[in-house]
Amino acid sequence: MGTTSNVSSWKALLLKHETLLFIIVVLEWFFFAAIGRRFGTLENSYDILRHSTEIGLLALALTPIILTGGIDLSVGSLLGLCAILFGKLWRDAHFPIWWAAIVTLAIGAVAGGMNAWFISRVRLPPLIVTLGTFSLFRGLAEAITHGVDTFTDFPGSFLRLGQGQWLGLPAQAPAFLLVAAAIWVMVHFTVLGRSWRAIGFAPEGARYAGIPVERRIASVYVIAGIIAGLAAVLYTARLGQAKADAGTGYELFAITAVVLGGTSIFGGVGSVPGTLLGVAAIAVLSNGLVHARQPREVAGMLTGQLLLVSLAASVLAKRIALHYKSRNANQPDSFS
Amino acid sequence: MRTVRREYSVCIALSLILFALAIFAPSFYQPTPFLSFLARQAPALIVTCGAALIIIARQIDISVGSQLAVCSVCAGLLSTANWPAGLVLLAAIALGATLGSINGFFVAGLRLPSIVVTLATMVTWREALRWKRQGAFVNLPQGAQWFGLSQTQGQLTIIVVALAVLAGLALLTRHLAAGRFIYATGSDVEAARLAGIRPQLVTFSLFVVMGALSGLAAVLNNAQSPQVDPKAGTGLELKAIAAVVVGGVAISGGRGHLWGVFVGFLLMACVSPALVYLHIEAYWERAIAGAIILLAVLGDGLGSVQKTTTSGSLASGETVTSR
Repeated sequence: MGTTSNVSSWKALLLKHETLLFIIVVLEWFFFAAIGRRFGTLENSYDILRHSTEIGLLALALTPIILTGGIDLSVGSLLGLCAILFGKLWRDAHFPIWWAAIVTLAIGAVAGGMNAWFISRVRLPPLIVTLGTFSLFRGLAEAITHGVDTFTDFPGSFLRLGQGQWLGLPAQAPAFLLVAAAIWVMVHFTVLGRSWRAIGFAPEGARYAGIPVERRIASVYVIAGIIAGLAAVLYTARLGQAKADAGTGYELFAITAVVLGGTSIFGGVGSVPGTLLGVAAIAVLSNGLVHARQPREVAGMLTGQLLLVSLAASVLAKRIALHYKSRNANQPDSFS
Repeated sequence: MRTVRREYSVCIALSLILFALAIFAPSFYQPTPFLSFLARQAPALIVTCGAALIIIARQIDISVGSQLAVCSVCAGLLSTANWPAGLVLLAAIALGATLGSINGFFVAGLRLPSIVVTLATMVTWREALRWKRQGAFVNLPQGAQWFGLSQTQGQLTIIVVALAVLAGLALLTRHLAAGRFIYATGSDVEAARLAGIRPQLVTFSLFVVMGALSGLAAVLNNAQSPQVDPKAGTGLELKAIAAVVVGGVAISGGRGHLWGVFVGFLLMACVSPALVYLHIEAYWERAIAGAIILLAVLGDGLGSVQKTTTSGSLASGETVTSR
């Protein structure tokens, strides 16, 4: 089959997926606005944004990674480690708070660089490497704090970053939007983004096309590390404390959001708007259920089912399309 | 060739730890704590065996911990309803197999990526359990602990069952056609299909077996305490995958065997008691476990990079192989 028709059908599918997801989010919104009294208010929308910032950031960080066909299980643990080191720098090393925040981003970059080194230099599978660092980063956070040390009493000017308002918006919104825009531009409008996609689609092909595959792959993990560092700072500012268990399980929600957003776990296909919609779908669902006085667990359950159903639907649609195509071309179905 | 070398190095690391324990903390080897250490690891060993088979077939299952928790709680509830132990065991295995078949349906039937499917089922089962039980423990009836045997006998039974599962699966994968099908499917799905194997059936069955094993593990887990913790099995999936990888199974499928997995499992399992007995803060456990995983694969990776510097699809989850 021709590559052009293949690409255009992928594109059409992607478009369909995002449209579908958008409709789901809108339906969720109206549904919860109808049954929950406080749900539709502006403050609540801000609440949703505030509470989904960290997972949203991690999902944005994971989008390029999954686009290259990789995976990063360590982002949640790295958030925890960065939060701890941030607290440590500020309280014990007496760094000025903003200076500590910047150093935290650098720490995130170094930790991401470690993943990158193992994956692109030593050429180990991303799943295994980040499984190792998942354990390592969380373990370091626990070891540094002896499992009990908690960092609190951050200055008010810093806490305003997580709890205050800025031009009427939640104060972390600008940072989030900035990162979202940056990742969006990188993925969709730059050579870098094109090469990520190419690597995910066909690593060998990308190499023969002259793309420096190793450096490009390294870049996504370093970017993810920096974003995890930023998420750690915002997390600390929102909750007013840093503990070793910060961000536990976030990687799973972030991966769920990315995959829900239509990014293929095999790489090569995906979009940033899809990821943002995926984050929105999960965030609106869990917030709405709280307002509908449903237990928090129902949200988690429905998120899992939403992921399965949306994936199954998109795969079935693809299968049916393929089936018709192969029947038109009078070819036997290649699936066993 | 290289897999053998990996197993040797893991063996050496394991003997070093055991040796250090023998010198600095001989009390580790006293029968009572040693037996209860082994018994406590037995359920995880069974799950690890299942995870190894799944990874050899080039899939992954991260829902095992949640499956185990669901089976544990259900088995506990059946025990409190005074079901006989044998029936509880069968029911738990059947329930596990059912949960596994759901994974199998999505992965083999609809051909969805297993990591996403099992991520979804992992969250779904865990949250469903939390919702239904609200974190309540199940108090088991008096006679249920250790299957009504004495503690030592019960522990021995549990260890023997786990070792029997390990030995059975190890022999099966080595000597039976069904076992070779797993390797064939993991090495190359298309080639396996052309050889007359039905890879989707193999994959489906493996997920069912995985579920059944986690049901069995759940019962063995329940037998060791007077209560069932609804949070049982949290993080078990990563522990199992780590042991499998350290034991020399390639995550890209088709390579590795269960004896290596056993050694890898023992190494990972010994970290925590070694820390306790050697008076290192227990908080280092996860960091050290992570470092072991990275070191174990690092040796592999560096070796193979030297051999083949140009080829290899590095993003798609494969190590460069020239084995």
